[in-house]
Amino acid sequence: MSSKDFMKQIEGFDRAREEMRICRKYGIDYTVEKGRAAHLMEMLHPRVLHLRVGAVIRETATASTLRMVPVDGYLPPFQAGQYINLFIEKNGVRTSRPYSISSAPHQTGYYDITVRRVENGFVSDILLDTVKPGDEFESTSPSGNFYYNPLYHEKSMVCLAGGSGVTPFMSMIREVTDRGLDRTIHLIYGSRGEDDIIFHEELKDRAARYGNFVYAPVISEPSKSCSELSGFINADLMRKVLRDTGSKTFYLCGPSGMYDFCMPELEKIGIPARRVRREMFGPPRDITAEPGWPKEVSGAAEFSVSVRGGKAVKARAGESLLSALERAGVVVPALCRCGECSMCRVKLLSGRVFEPRGVLLRKSDRACGYIHSCAAYPLSDLEIML
Amino acid sequence: MSDFDAIVIGAGNGGLTAAATLAKGGAKTLLLERHNVPGGCATSFCRGRFEFEVALHQLSGMGDEKFPGPLRSVLHGLDVLDRVEFIPMKNLYRLVIPGRLDIMLPADRNGTVEALQKRFPAESAKIREFYDLVYAFFNQLISVFYLRDPEASREKYPLYFKYALASSQEILDEYFTDPLLKLTVAAYWGYMGVPPRFLTFSDLAALIFAYIEFKPYHIRNGSQALSNALIETFMNNGGEVRFNCGAAKIGLRDGAVAEVVTDRGERLTTGCVVSNISTPVMYNELIGIESTPKEKYEEMRGSTIGPSSFTLYIGMDCTPAELGIGETTNFIAAHEDMDRAFTQMRDIDEPAMILVSCYNVSDPGASPDGTCQIAVVDLQYAEPWLAVPPSLYASEKYRYASKVLDLVERVFPGFRKHIEEIEVATPLTHIRYLGHPGGAFYGFDQYAKDSRLVNPPVQSIAGLFHAGSWAAEGGFQPSLTSGSSAGRAALKHIGKRGR
Ligand SMILES: Cc1cc2nc3c(=O)[nH]c(=O)nc-3n(C[C@H](O)[C@H](O)[C@H](O)COP(=O)(O)OP(=O)(O)OC[C@H]3O[C@@H](n4cnc5c(N)ncnc54)[C@H](O)[C@@H]3O)c2cc1C
Ligand code: FES
Repeated sequence: MSSKDFMKQIEGFDRAREEMRICRKYGIDYTVEKGRAAHLMEMLHPRVLHLRVGAVIRETATASTLRMVPVDGYLPPFQAGQYINLFIEKNGVRTSRPYSISSAPHQTGYYDITVRRVENGFVSDILLDTVKPGDEFESTSPSGNFYYNPLYHEKSMVCLAGGSGVTPFMSMIREVTDRGLDRTIHLIYGSRGEDDIIFHEELKDRAARYGNFVYAPVISEPSKSCSELSGFINADLMRKVLRDTGSKTFYLCGPSGMYDFCMPELEKIGIPARRVRREMFGPPRDITAEPGWPKEVSGAAEFSVSVRGGKAVKARAGESLLSALERAGVVVPALCRCGECSMCRVKLLSGRVFEPRGVLLRKSDRACGYIHSCAAYPLSDLEIML
Repeated sequence: MSDFDAIVIGAGNGGLTAAATLAKGGAKTLLLERHNVPGGCATSFCRGRFEFEVALHQLSGMGDEKFPGPLRSVLHGLDVLDRVEFIPMKNLYRLVIPGRLDIMLPADRNGTVEALQKRFPAESAKIREFYDLVYAFFNQLISVFYLRDPEASREKYPLYFKYALASSQEILDEYFTDPLLKLTVAAYWGYMGVPPRFLTFSDLAALIFAYIEFKPYHIRNGSQALSNALIETFMNNGGEVRFNCGAAKIGLRDGAVAEVVTDRGERLTTGCVVSNISTPVMYNELIGIESTPKEKYEEMRGSTIGPSSFTLYIGMDCTPAELGIGETTNFIAAHEDMDRAFTQMRDIDEPAMILVSCYNVSDPGASPDGTCQIAVVDLQYAEPWLAVPPSLYASEKYRYASKVLDLVERVFPGFRKHIEEIEVATPLTHIRYLGHPGGAFYGFDQYAKDSRLVNPPVQSIAGLFHAGSWAAEGGFQPSLTSGSSAGRAALKHIGKRGR
């Protein structure tokens, strides 16, 4: 007996056959599914956003806000604290930089990004010096996990900002105050000089008008006439500003040196790790100063990186592999550019790289030799696979 | 000369085993994956101190070296057994209805029967008989279905012919009276996505038999470790993989597969494609409605898109013991009505039945010392989520997540206070990462009428093969197994003998 024949003798076989016949008769025409998933994702998480600079707003001598409007009229929603990764082309090199959105999520007509000049910054110079209203950019849709999560964060938030690290907090502060949300925010915001404080006037104004927002700027190199708090964001200062440190979630955003300084201070005032959220805000300024960097390798040392099935590329030890690849025109997708999101994952077939702290690599990825190219610095000639 | 003997589209479980099988069989194979990591569902992601397993809760069909299950031999053939560590679990699950039921079933036949008899003494005899039936039935199924006994007949295998397509609910009703007992016995229905009323007895018996006999397993460092190992096998055998590179079109010539066009616009010639993506997307987008044979749409018409899930990935700042978690696998039900629970998969009001997996119980290395990793799954269809306007999506996510956590708290009080990281995934998240309609990671719904026994699929495009949950049933074992079969069929098609 062939298999088909005996199947027919299973009890219920005819009934199931008949059911299927009827379902096929009155069932679903799947041609309507065409394009549906793609359309849905265009509303929530488009792969690319086309943005146009609507206005350039001067914030301080070294920082400006670029108001980005959508070229095609729609911007996906985001959560206050998220960033976009902006693609920039300069001298034929395409690279990208993540920028937190500083405008509030309920402001659906544009995203503001606020750019501060970085010393020898490849990208910040272009954004600050040459960009004008009407210029167009591509970016990723909003990403990142640095936002208020009502499932386990306290309603009382303490935001510790350093320099341009104030940008994600600006979005949160605007949202909470404008919309009258049932949350309180303390912003402790460290800057070098009074002139460096971004959004100073607006922050003072909001603090004066809203009972649930407290603003405490802290200046590390104050002028003689400075009336603000001075020094660094340490345990004493936090105690003084906050009085009660219980039932609060702490959010940190700033240069990497700030984490090294603030984390022990938070420990001193007894804040458990689960109540501290950190945004990785860019790679270390000088990778060779990171703990664990092999002293015998200079940041200027040059190596050759060969891409399997592609070309060989020159790379410096002091620069991320991702940047070296971009410079040579090799396309690698990128999002966070700080080793966390895995978007820039490549396989290291041979050679050695340095990985700074804070890189979030899957255990099995590590075991199989995958690296995050945005957070990997060549220490020898390399062979990689994209 | 074609560019490739075969092109595999999608590096989910099915695509990975298909690709590895092809490469091992000597075929020049290209694997295209739209995402930047292999695995599809079988992947992980990092947050803070944690690496979260996305989809694997209990791997079925492994067995140990002495008593290997069908999956073990598939993986053995693909050279991954010595590179990936599989960790057996002692127990099937703990099932709790707060205030009404709390029972744990061990992964052995007598232990399970005894645990049930202890809790439901009035139905003691029937419990033993039911498990006898499951075993007797399943042994017949193995002879007929897997060993293909040429003399299969009603007389020789009466149980198989009587029950293979029967509704599981009818058999549960025939044997048991207490609805709590029925739920306890059939709690695994969620792994198939349809409740006992619609679940064939073949499927229910397979779940019970396989998990007891072959034990549930977990994978050290998560399912990503298996996905990565399969990629290694593939590459070590000369396979070429491209991440961040999706397939945009499959071109036909004279009704047969001729080329694949990537989303970068590259045209690659081949006479053979193994597709690991959903059937609706494959025909609508890749082959195109015009070029798809009408019978294919007719075939799909009769089936409905299966469920996806609402999932919480949670990193806790304490050990399982501190939370009172003693089992890896915990089902928590709000009530015992499985039909109603199935209905509730179509709304986002109240969770009906959730799965709470704490991997550290069987694998202490699942997260850093003093912490634990937990995944909470609530099966859901995509529809209610599709109706949420994008601007309200985040708040709806939190609202429903909070209800799910409330249910967890009823069994593990104080749970919320220990959350250090949490990530919420909805059916829309699965649509985004997998590209499947409805985010359906089990593929089409599996009613009796959808059984391949009843309506075997017709292959209508020469050179096109299917692997994964849309070709078989959902789940790790079925998708991994279907990929290796598809790989072998593809090898035959291109005239290679395989290993
Ligand atoms: C939360 C959750 C819990 C689960 N729990 C369990 C469990 O405990 N036990 C169990 O056995 N199963 C479980 N499953 C189900 C199981 O994970 C899936 O059924 C199985 O992994 C599906 O494998 P697949 O081969 O169908 O591929 P999929 O995982 O569906 O992957 C498809 C792949 O194709 C890629 N792709 C899509 N379109 C394209 C294109 N155009 N070009 C190139 N690539 C493309 C996608 O990126 C993806 O990688 C769970 C799933 C989830 C999400
Ligand atoms: S871009 Fe996020 S890890 Fe490299």
